[in-house]
Amino acid sequence: MTIISIIFFAFIGGSSRYLLGQLVPVGTGFPWMTLVINLTGSGVLAWLSHAKRLTANWPTALTVGLGVGGCGAFTTFSTFGVETVRLITAQKWGLASGYVLATLLGGACCSAAGVWIARRWGTFRLEEQ
Amino acid sequence: MAGVAGLGAALGALARYGTTRWVQTIYGNHWPLATLLINWLGCALLGLLTGWQVARLWLVLLGTGALGGFTTYSTFSHEVVMLLDQRRFVAAAGYLFLSVGGGLLLAAGGLWLGWQLV
Repeated sequence: MTIISIIFFAFIGGSSRYLLGQLVPVGTGFPWMTLVINLTGSGVLAWLSHAKRLTANWPTALTVGLGVGGCGAFTTFSTFGVETVRLITAQKWGLASGYVLATLLGGACCSAAGVWIARRWGTFRLEEQ
Repeated sequence: MAGVAGLGAALGALARYGTTRWVQTIYGNHWPLATLLINWLGCALLGLLTGWQVARLWLVLLGTGALGGFTTYSTFSHEVVMLLDQRRFVAAAGYLFLSVGGGLLLAAGGLWLGWQLV
């Protein structure tokens, strides 16, 4: 069941990433869409992994499917890597370093925010368990 | 084409799930080695596909779909934040630098190899 759930949500995640990518013309400019996708996915995954009060009664297949399948397939590391190298080979140093910094710092901030929001409102307090 | 990308992503995500479980049974999960290896491999292969200039259908199925779904940014970012949260700063910095530095080098190597094949 977990496998089917991962396939289902990864299909949605991957095709959404493709469709969003189609919205922005491909060029050697700043890869906005990958950045937005990776930051959103990071926030959602972090929140989902810690919002235990909400997900406690969900079937494991659903939480694993949404996290590993949905968020995992929606976000991508390989495209981030190849896009950065292409900016470097086009000698667009400013764009390349800006892209790496925005992805790393933005991703960390979104993940931390996801964890913080989930811990603030979504987890069991120890004494309540 | 979106369905093709989705199909590839489903296969990629399953491969990631299997690889993560396999690496964690061997290595454990005290440091995110599985995600590092997955992202490294994905960067190298996507570089190769991009440099090789394969037909659009294959690029969407294998590149955007399978390798995009195989590699993951959300898990990487969450793992970095969790290592920082546990105050394991050296482990977090090492993971970050190896992921990005290694990923970029491997993507460049893949692109270069792909260009040789055209």
